[in-house]
Amino acid sequence: MILFLILLVAMFLALVVQHFIGPLPPMGARVLLMPIIMFYGALALPLPAMFALTLAGGLMWDALHVQMVEGNFEIALGWSIVLYGVLGGLMSGFRPLFQRGRWEIHCLLSGVACAVIVLAEYLMITFRREPVIFVFNARIWWSIAASGIVATLLSPFFFFALNYVALASGYDPQPLRRQPKR
Amino acid sequence: MKTRLPALAFIGFIALVGVILTLSPHNMRKVQGGFLGLISPFLKTGSSMEKKYRDFREGLKTLEQLEEENKRLAIANKDLSATNQTLRGLEAENNRLRNALGYAERSVFQLVPARITARDASTWYSSVTIDRGSAEGLKPDMPVLTEEGLVGKTSTVSAHAATVILIADETCKVAVNVENSTEKGIARGERGSTNAIPQIALTFITKQANLQPGQRVFTSGVGGVFPPGVPIGAVREFKVRELDGYATILPAVDLTTLEDVFVVISNRK
Repeated sequence: MILFLILLVAMFLALVVQHFIGPLPPMGARVLLMPIIMFYGALALPLPAMFALTLAGGLMWDALHVQMVEGNFEIALGWSIVLYGVLGGLMSGFRPLFQRGRWEIHCLLSGVACAVIVLAEYLMITFRREPVIFVFNARIWWSIAASGIVATLLSPFFFFALNYVALASGYDPQPLRRQPKR
Repeated sequence: MKTRLPALAFIGFIALVGVILTLSPHNMRKVQGGFLGLISPFLKTGSSMEKKYRDFREGLKTLEQLEEENKRLAIANKDLSATNQTLRGLEAENNRLRNALGYAERSVFQLVPARITARDASTWYSSVTIDRGSAEGLKPDMPVLTEEGLVGKTSTVSAHAATVILIADETCKVAVNVENSTEKGIARGERGSTNAIPQIALTFITKQANLQPGQRVFTSGVGGVFPPGVPIGAVREFKVRELDGYATILPAVDLTTLEDVFVVISNRK
């Protein structure tokens, strides 16, 4: 419960920080700090807590990013919750491996999931705007890929720091780590 | 009970998502405004810290540099004062002539100065957050500009913060006139355009427009959101397409270095 609250506060602060940082030149890579923390929560916490985190994360995300166009909201508030729920569920499927002390694949997966978030946003916008034109030039692909690469590079540091915080709060996210090998 | 918990959590999750997805635009706006109000103190603090740091770095100048800057500013000040006097005279003359012709006196914009507290982290939207909100009279869809030209329009507004959609964004459409031409068109950002690399297109112009690079583009005032005569930028390139003409615009305002803007809350004093 303590870790859940810590992650919730960390997600809020990460959202503020990433909002402040903005896209990184030259490829427009987005520094997605909040999703990394949320994905860590999906690995460290049981399923009900993961759902609560994705709900809070998705709602905060949409409240900050969804734009109103000509009197109407371009994308409905809450679509990110669905996306985060699906991605968080996938991450949660890798939880047994994480509990055994492995985290390499999870960092890579976190980066891929962040790129999927950016791609999904782009697809939503593409389908919503008139006329429906699929513009997939090198710049668009780089914006998506670069966000994933940045998240992959940042994930180990965040996972390491959050693991430390989890242990300090009295919760062991990797309880099977110390079991002797058979 | 323990084995049922994930299933119950999933059902609760789906139910809550359903409720949120079906919120009315009015309630969505309230949620957005509330959240923007919640994070605005953090953004303001971060922005002021960044400004202090930048001012500190910029303040580290030699005496020669300061003297040179002082001279340059003094000359610029005299130049601006002279221009201002001339413009005041022209404004008075213009109003006199308008009155003589029976037109209403040309109104002057009422502006609210605002500082940019954050540049949006969104990849697909070009927007910034400012430190003024409904408490200062701001509402959605109000024009935002600088002394150089048009910046964009307000979108989400909370009590002391607001989001501004920049002209580089695809959703910000502006009716425009082109200098020394009868062409009228719509300026809008291209998909994937960002603050760092703004790409603004001028569409709905004729094939015969033959616009030249450097021709200035101004708001036409059609649509009612943007006041007429505000500079948007200059034509960068003109192309003839199968059915119409198409031009790209170099924005008048550098969107990457924006710090202070003005929100037009009314066009009457």
